[in-house]
Amino acid sequence: MLSEIFVEPFADMVAAPDFLMQVLWEGLVSGILYALIALGFVLIYRSSRIFNFAQGIMVVFAALTLVGLHEAGVPAWVSVVLTLGVMFVLAVVVERVVLRPLVGQPDIILFMATIGITLFLIGFGEIIFGGENKVMITQELGIPTDSVVFEPFGGLLILEQKDITAAGIAALLVIGLLLFLNKTRMGRAIRALGDDHQAAMSVGISLQTIWVLVWFIAGIIALVTGIAWGARAGVSFALEVIAYKALPVLMLGGLESISGAIVGGLMIGMLEKLFEIYWGQPLLGGNTETWFAFMLALVVLLFRPQGLFGERIIERV
Amino acid sequence: MNVHLQEDLSKHTLRADDGIAKGADLLKVENISLSFGGVKAITDISFDIKKGEIRAIIGPNGAGKTSMLNVINGFYFPQQGTITFRGEKRRRARASETARDGIARTFQNIALFKGMSTLDNIMTGRITLQKRSLLWHALWKGPAEREEIEHREAVERIIDFLEIEHIRKTPVGRLPYGLQKRVELGRALAADPALLLLDEPMAGMNLEEKADMSRFILDVNQQYGTTIALIEHDMGVVMDLSDRVVVLDYGKKIGDGTPDEVRNNPDVIDAYLGVPH
Amino acid sequence: MFYRTAGQFKTSYSADQALFPVRQDAVLLIVILAFAWIIFPLTASEFTFQTLLIPILIYSLAALGLNILTGYAGQLSLGTGAFMGVGAYACYKMVTLMPWMNPIVAILLSGVFSAGIGVVFGIPSLRIKGFYLAIATLAAQFFLVWLFEKWAWLYNYNASGAIQVPNLDMFGVYVAGPQATSFTQYYVVLAIVSLLTWVCINLTRGRPGRTWKATRDMDIAAELIGIDLMRSKLTAFAVSSYIVGVAGALFVFMWRGAAEPNLFDIPLSFRILFIAIIGGLGSVLGNYLGAILIVGLPVVLGIVPEALGLEITSATVEHLNVMIVGGLIIFFLIIEPHGLAQLWRLIREKLIIWPFPH
Repeated sequence: MLSEIFVEPFADMVAAPDFLMQVLWEGLVSGILYALIALGFVLIYRSSRIFNFAQGIMVVFAALTLVGLHEAGVPAWVSVVLTLGVMFVLAVVVERVVLRPLVGQPDIILFMATIGITLFLIGFGEIIFGGENKVMITQELGIPTDSVVFEPFGGLLILEQKDITAAGIAALLVIGLLLFLNKTRMGRAIRALGDDHQAAMSVGISLQTIWVLVWFIAGIIALVTGIAWGARAGVSFALEVIAYKALPVLMLGGLESISGAIVGGLMIGMLEKLFEIYWGQPLLGGNTETWFAFMLALVVLLFRPQGLFGERIIERV
Repeated sequence: MNVHLQEDLSKHTLRADDGIAKGADLLKVENISLSFGGVKAITDISFDIKKGEIRAIIGPNGAGKTSMLNVINGFYFPQQGTITFRGEKRRRARASETARDGIARTFQNIALFKGMSTLDNIMTGRITLQKRSLLWHALWKGPAEREEIEHREAVERIIDFLEIEHIRKTPVGRLPYGLQKRVELGRALAADPALLLLDEPMAGMNLEEKADMSRFILDVNQQYGTTIALIEHDMGVVMDLSDRVVVLDYGKKIGDGTPDEVRNNPDVIDAYLGVPH
Repeated sequence: MFYRTAGQFKTSYSADQALFPVRQDAVLLIVILAFAWIIFPLTASEFTFQTLLIPILIYSLAALGLNILTGYAGQLSLGTGAFMGVGAYACYKMVTLMPWMNPIVAILLSGVFSAGIGVVFGIPSLRIKGFYLAIATLAAQFFLVWLFEKWAWLYNYNASGAIQVPNLDMFGVYVAGPQATSFTQYYVVLAIVSLLTWVCINLTRGRPGRTWKATRDMDIAAELIGIDLMRSKLTAFAVSSYIVGVAGALFVFMWRGAAEPNLFDIPLSFRILFIAIIGGLGSVLGNYLGAILIVGLPVVLGIVPEALGLEITSATVEHLNVMIVGGLIIFFLIIEPHGLAQLWRLIREKLIIWPFPH
């Protein structure tokens, strides 16, 4: 028993390094997407103290809109632009109808409101697009679907081109966001908001504009994640769960830390895959990916309550 | 305060009556040093608090007064030095245990429970004295109800004493600042403390409110016999109220004695006038 | 005029601490109890029992359990559904392993198991606060549902992976399973819900309630006045999980009749959370108001199009329903963030001084 837990998995890893690399690669692709979604959470949290539970449904909604538009006869790339438009309208509506009237309410109320948004979008999406599964328009968007084969250590490593594309686009988006946050006035205002509302106000950008913007960024992130994940798993309301996966990332990396979201996301993506393949499937009956990341984050937080990247807080009275 | 109330109070002031003679050491602070990640907040401070006295801790901003209070009631644990309370050396303990030992306090920035009424806030002061288990409380009838009523009576005496009957059922969030300070004093008193720590009890008050608060503090000290240590910026108030004063500056003790001695201490005068070291 | 309180004076603290210091409140409660205990069960149809009365009571109880933790003790939990599952599976194992056991005793005992697991998952609350804790409770949510699926012993190795409520009788009357009537089950649920509501009222109005609220409002100050935060939080987790577990057992044994693991998934947790928040955090009454709204709304929405002669498929009705509930949540949060219970308090205050404006 002990050997099954502490010895055999590692022996397997060493015995088949090509397979290990395959596992790590798959984990890395998921991890990049987790990091991306976590970034969406962090931006909204930093700028408005809202824990946005609707991030998951926004992924579904964006993917459904894209596929739905294309099914209605709109060319693929035009659909992408139109979907971005829809996400922008959503951001504006959310800010006007939900956020503005709820300014200054306790965190939990704002959090509940985002669950309200989630439900609303689920119902709305199902009425418009129907509840059945759809196929992502991968090829129509020009995303290659072949695979690249490597032979490290005399073994076999298969990288799907759509995964490479997804990882590449997600990485580009992350870099773009970092540049935006660090180099532009608007981006700096968003970052400043996390530290100090007064300071941010003095930059001269209205809070409302910032909120619309961060929700729109969250919408863009949702669309990219929706395309990437939809290409792997199809488009359905089950996609929503991918957003849940970003939550332990936030626990590990901190709700306000941009670098924490990125590092945490990659780490969790790879670790949960490793655990599932080498421990979960042989010992626990598999499907451990639903909870592994949460348990990992929980255990880490028990020993480091400030998270992996947070600073120790000195309590005062 | 009337005589009848005085009897009631002495009957319920269990922990103040702990066998330590008036004027003997209640609390001794010896060679305390405290730092946060290399920044020294308190350096090698020693002083004592004698039973029955009103002891003031004064000093310019950032002198380490609140840190000192936090050390005394166990919120911070000092890197060096010992604290002896009622003859027993303090080991590293949770702050809640210090309160159970009989040290109650108020806070510089009011720390009332915003979602509760005045009555309930003061009742929380007696939580450490309520012994009935969860199961009795689930039943309510019988022991739990009797216990609740007994403590309610004690709290009502405090409410009378502090003259806040009219706001008994008002949520504390709706009260003006001065009254909130008074409710907070009530909550601390409700615990029947052997030592009462007051962190700037008169900050932000107008003259009338200050006069009221001074009266309450003196009454508590004289009628309950409660030992009090307080931090206060208003020198007039400090000199009038306190029996002895300890003066801190930059985390060090620079003076200790009666108000008159402290007033004439050259180091203290320098610290307050800002003479460079 | 009917709600005027002038002239009602309290002469003792026990009278002042009574549950209903105002006479009209007591009268109102008696009327409601009369409806719940006598008039509803005598007049309700099978449809009303199954779609309104029984589920409203069970959901109210679950929300009450969550409210103890989140509304009173301030610890946000997103794992309520899974803890209901623990109660349901514990009850299932008890009645199948020990068929002689009285079903009501089994239901009341099943909460003990969820309380134990609740305490274990409550331990992180000693170090983690706010949303971090909420995410931590999701660990319980996902892990437990996974466990219900993978641990075949829990569902007695049924091929379907689901638990099926057997016929259970008490003094010759079936109270659970296919043979039990809604009428009987309603009374069982009502009795248990009434009992636990009374217990919760007692707990929240005395020392335990003040301890929890102090922890919620300002944990540092609570600790410095002598409250043991660990105890306060863990008792809140225990009491809350107990009630939620009993609600879960009722949910399956007195209403659904069968359950698959995914029944206890995150949508159920959120449903309970909506009820608690729309009803009003930190209120006992609110849970009932919230449950009436959340359970009643779909029923009303199902009837309206028919009554208007509109042809809408049931799937569309369901989707509309989800959408409207989402919209309503936002609407209620905006008009009254403190929930329906607060709305009732405001109306009551108005009634007390009515017909005079001040």
